[in-house]
Amino acid sequence: MKFRARLSGDAAGQVPVEVASVPPDFRVTVGGHLLSGEAASLRPGIWSLVFDDGRQVEVSLLPGADGVTHARFGNALVAFEFQDELTALAAAAGGKSRAKKGDVVTAAMPGRVLRLSVAPGEKVSAGQGLLVLEAMKMENEVKAPRDGVVDSVGVSAGQAVSAGEVLVRLRPET
Amino acid sequence: MNRPRLLIANRGEIAIRIIRACRDLDVSPVAVYSDTDRMSLHVRLADAAVHIGPAPARESYLVPAKLIAAAKKTGATLVHPGYGFLAENAAFAQAVLDAGLVWVGPTPASISAMGSKTASRAKVMAAGVPVVPGMTTPAKGPDEIAAFGAKNGFPILLKAAAGGGGKGMRIVRSRDEIPAAFARAQSEATSYFADPAVYAELYVEEARHIEIQVLGDTTGKVIALGERECSLQRRHQKVLEECPSAAVTPELRARMEEVAVAAAKAVNYVSAGTVEFLLAKDGRFFFLEMNTRIQVEHPVTEVVYGVDLVTEMIRIARGEPMSIARRPEPRGHALQCRIYAEDPARGFAPSPGKIRRLRRPQGPGVRVDSGVEEGDVVPLDYDPMLAKFVIWGRDRDEAIRRARRALAEARVEGIETSIPFFLAMLEDPDFLANRVHTQFLDTWSYRAREESEEQRTAALVAAALDAAHASRTTRPPAGEPAGRGLSAWRTARPTFGVRE
Repeated sequence: MKFRARLSGDAAGQVPVEVASVPPDFRVTVGGHLLSGEAASLRPGIWSLVFDDGRQVEVSLLPGADGVTHARFGNALVAFEFQDELTALAAAAGGKSRAKKGDVVTAAMPGRVLRLSVAPGEKVSAGQGLLVLEAMKMENEVKAPRDGVVDSVGVSAGQAVSAGEVLVRLRPET
Repeated sequence: MNRPRLLIANRGEIAIRIIRACRDLDVSPVAVYSDTDRMSLHVRLADAAVHIGPAPARESYLVPAKLIAAAKKTGATLVHPGYGFLAENAAFAQAVLDAGLVWVGPTPASISAMGSKTASRAKVMAAGVPVVPGMTTPAKGPDEIAAFGAKNGFPILLKAAAGGGGKGMRIVRSRDEIPAAFARAQSEATSYFADPAVYAELYVEEARHIEIQVLGDTTGKVIALGERECSLQRRHQKVLEECPSAAVTPELRARMEEVAVAAAKAVNYVSAGTVEFLLAKDGRFFFLEMNTRIQVEHPVTEVVYGVDLVTEMIRIARGEPMSIARRPEPRGHALQCRIYAEDPARGFAPSPGKIRRLRRPQGPGVRVDSGVEEGDVVPLDYDPMLAKFVIWGRDRDEAIRRARRALAEARVEGIETSIPFFLAMLEDPDFLANRVHTQFLDTWSYRAREESEEQRTAALVAAALDAAHASRTTRPPAGEPAGRGLSAWRTARPTFGVRE
């Protein structure tokens, strides 16, 4: 099976990964280098790898936001995107259009809306407080990412919100 | 013989700490829980449990009548408040006493004398304890704060008069910031402590936070149990504590202990308490406040001095003298890492959710006080602290090496935690040289430990194997049902009764 990986923060681009032989005895090529050894899984996402030279690592794989996978080691974290080759090629061919950066203000964390500071139609400047979110006993002011005009407010005071939920939309920049 | 019962008016980690103390004294622990906490670990470890209302603390853990009714219902005769919630609420302590129950803590009079931070200054100043310049009554409005700033200079600190634990605190660096900061501090003070009163004090920069543990009993004896170094703070919340402090010489310790005992005696203190000081760079120290309760960081004192503060509190509440004649000699060095449900990589944003995997560190010198286990959901409604890793070594270097070992051994998955922050901190040259102060973390920016090339490769190998494995197991081969391999557990089933 063939995959494409992209390490976060790595400008080098995609790394081809190919599985030639599956556990317990594995053979995997990463960027042209063959790695082999014996692998065991405690349960999906948790692996112990013993490479041929005896080196052992325990890795936990966790899905993160935006299709990024996190591999957690005892003292470090590796973040990367990982897709099978066909999906990666299809994505490269498609190329979705996205809303312009800064048009939508979302909740960075789950919490409760304590109070709103703006209303639709209001002019705001970058850094201005839009609303106050309370999460885990802390009040956090959510600020405008840019100058603009409030298009809509998607939440009301007292409402519980989840991470990523749209709080405020700004009119698209012209 | 009926064992006495003790109601724990708290939740999470500290409730479990108190349950353990109860067990050690052969006292029966009673838990309380809100809707959110029905399946929390503190409930499952208790002998009895009482539902006290909905998730918001002001409708459950902060309602004295519900807690007292829970004690009555279960036949509890003692009430331990833990820390936070109603722990420093004199009216609650009085209500407990009025209901004919025993309060595990100082008297309501001591709590109110120290609970109002403005009045407590006056009280300890009279006993000869040095204090930082500050307002002696709550501010009537922003103008009064401005006048204080004009007289004493900036920065100043706005604090909730009824508060604690860093909630409702604001630093104000100039006159312009006062109106907004005052409004915010009042709002937080109201929502956390049901009291909007706010006051200002001078902010001593680059000071250390050093606190002295005290213990008093009903015979009038008060002893000090050394200091804790609590200078590493973020948003005025302590994140890592040490005992002893590398900045405190035996002479300084003796002077601070003497002053702390004088402060405690000024309010006829009984039970465990903490006298907090700011230690300035020039070696002067100022009384900050006295916390009239058990502290989050009490375990570092316990492991260095070989005392159990929570069982002492219960003994003392029952009218017995404390079990130690004098302060034991300190032994070695301890660190406490507060593991929070927060994401260091995203500005320490809260990270509530389900703990899908949990491996606690173990081994020599490692004590874990935790409120959760695998499968638990960390709710949004309460403090985000998951666990305290309390690490002991013969000296500071050994304690730090053991802390690194424990942090790397731990696994918490499903939510983000501050473990990567501590791994980075325990490599920091200034921390290692003990060049810290209370603003140290304000300018210290977190950078995750760099992963190695080997780890990057191993991550991709594991991801590939996982994906290949998943695509194979979605369709098991015909004639071989999944999970029917021969295992010793399965063949032993008739003997051990392993159920499928």
